[in-house]
Amino acid sequence: MFLKMFVLSGSAVILWLTPLAVLDKKIGWHKSAQGLSLVVAVSCAIGAGNIAKRLAEENEIEEIKTRAITADVVDEIATSAYISQTQRQQEAEQILNPREHLERSLALSYNDGERSEPSDQKQLAEPEQNALENAESERAKRALQLKAQGWGKAKIILELWGVSKGGSPKYKAAEAEYRRLVEDS
Amino acid sequence: MRVAYLANYFIAGCAASSLLGWVASTSPMAGKAIAFFVAAAFILWGLCWLLDFSVSNWLKISVNNLQAFLLAVLAMGVIGVGVFLCS
Repeated sequence: MFLKMFVLSGSAVILWLTPLAVLDKKIGWHKSAQGLSLVVAVSCAIGAGNIAKRLAEENEIEEIKTRAITADVVDEIATSAYISQTQRQQEAEQILNPREHLERSLALSYNDGERSEPSDQKQLAEPEQNALENAESERAKRALQLKAQGWGKAKIILELWGVSKGGSPKYKAAEAEYRRLVEDS
Repeated sequence: MRVAYLANYFIAGCAASSLLGWVASTSPMAGKAIAFFVAAAFILWGLCWLLDFSVSNWLKISVNNLQAFLLAVLAMGVIGVGVFLCS
């Protein structure tokens, strides 16, 4: 296609300029040859232009495809980065000791001067137990809501536990907990 | 590739102008007909140049594109006729 276009372009220029420069207008057949070569030159130039236009349009389509693929890849990477960030955050929250959670919340609710150490271990353990139960019941409620909305098991586990589907022990544990919560409810 | 196709159409326009000059030189009658055609085309060109905003709206192209097209047409005509007359 390229070769044809270049040959046609070159022919057009040669057929346009050469007969006009070389041949004599006063001689009858020279003049006819000039006219003929000009007609052929116009045809060649238009043909080459059409081929080049088609090639330009094909190139444009290829560029659009490339841009679309690049955008897809970027979107995929951004989504996976977001998911892994959420997953890391949830794992970090799970790693934190529930007691530490409680201590932090207590520390926030008291000033430094008014802070008092819990005297009884039972007093500390009771709210901790309640907090765990509350978290579990909220998770069960949320799981049931998502299930009612038509979400799949893997998606619910990813949303609530932040674990992707697979054979990992974390996923199995999350799956077991999900079953227990759903069956209990 | 866009440049290639624009260049090819430009060459086609130049060659067509030379062809018009050649037709005009074949007989006095053809010369008169071509002169009339060139005059009409020039008037049309001038109107398009003066009414560029209206014409660009009518053709649904930008004013810049219309002006570029008109200048290219003028250049094609001048180059084509110039090559024919100087040869």
